[in-house]
Amino acid sequence: MSTGFQAVQWNRAKIVYDITLAAGVTLYIGGYMALARALAAPGKMPGWDDLRIQAFGSCAFFMISLILAIGPLARLNPRLLPLLYNRRHFGLFAFCIAAMHGYFVVDWFALRGALPDFWGEITTAANYSKFIGITIKPLGMVALLIFFVMAATSHDYWLSVLTPPFWKALHMPVYAAYGLIIMHVALGLMQHDYSPAIPLILGATSGLVALLHILSGLKERTTDAGLAPDQDGWIAVGPPDSISDKRAKIVAAPGGERIAVFRDGARIGAVSNLCAHQNGPVGEGEIIDGCITCPWHGWQYRLEDGRSPPPFKEELATYRVRLREGRIEVHAEPLPPGTPASLVVPA
Amino acid sequence: MRRGHRKAHLLIWPLLAAALLVGVAMALALRPPPEKTAMPAQHGQVLT
Repeated sequence: MSTGFQAVQWNRAKIVYDITLAAGVTLYIGGYMALARALAAPGKMPGWDDLRIQAFGSCAFFMISLILAIGPLARLNPRLLPLLYNRRHFGLFAFCIAAMHGYFVVDWFALRGALPDFWGEITTAANYSKFIGITIKPLGMVALLIFFVMAATSHDYWLSVLTPPFWKALHMPVYAAYGLIIMHVALGLMQHDYSPAIPLILGATSGLVALLHILSGLKERTTDAGLAPDQDGWIAVGPPDSISDKRAKIVAAPGGERIAVFRDGARIGAVSNLCAHQNGPVGEGEIIDGCITCPWHGWQYRLEDGRSPPPFKEELATYRVRLREGRIEVHAEPLPPGTPASLVVPA
Repeated sequence: MRRGHRKAHLLIWPLLAAALLVGVAMALALRPPPEKTAMPAQHGQVLT
């Protein structure tokens, strides 16, 4: 969290994350180019200008696949949450690698004095009227444009200006971009290179990403089914000790947003499960230093009123809680953000 | 994530997976046999 906006709020975790990323990308690209040349048949050595296109392109594909897999992986296994922490840097890195791939393609034509051919290929209408043989460059260019918009608006400043729902909506075309990349490879490289590895890698990687999203979505559906409130709008949560200390139990009314019911010792409080930062699942976080801490980026809120501790000004909607016949109940109607509503239960 | 966002995800991914499966399968099934691939050089194509 920060009271103002900085380009990057560096800390040890981010530095380690970024160094690991840079090392991984360097190893992949260097390894790809060295291996491709080492394995080439004698007299058929691929040129560096071809290899760098392939190395950067395939690297960007794997990076984007991994970025898309991080979200569902973290939802399926909370131990993988640290991967999510600095995913935006991962995305920016992937955009740069994809942009380099695009630059090398243009440079390939420039080196041969064939830039008019490049322009002609992407501007000839007939190249778009067929499936096999369609010009694949615009597929990659549109995907790159989507990644550019995402990269350009990735900073918290834009998240704040655009508001989390709009920002999320602006970033949703990443799925279309992923589809475009896969077709860019299937209708491009796969049409010239008959190695079975290409369709296998393409299918396995994208299939795994899709499967992870579908599985995590199905897992979420159970919680979203919700618990029917009683006539007065109260939802049964369970005995106080059914909520682990410093953790939350997440409930929802049918059709309503999720509510995180936290326990900190004897104090019970309920807040919206949507973090004010990126709508992260605060209920999957824990209470650290007396504050509810979002597992995504560490934004913090007080249990008693859902407000961030000074000097921060973020607030979460809170919910009334009560102890009835030994069970905690939460009211389905949210209170205005920052309204004190917690309860201390007798030991 | 909001409920609507989760619903959208649950709808998008099966559709995207099905569309890509069809697209890649068609690209694989309809590609010309190797002996008919003599084409002008294109970027990204290893000239072997």
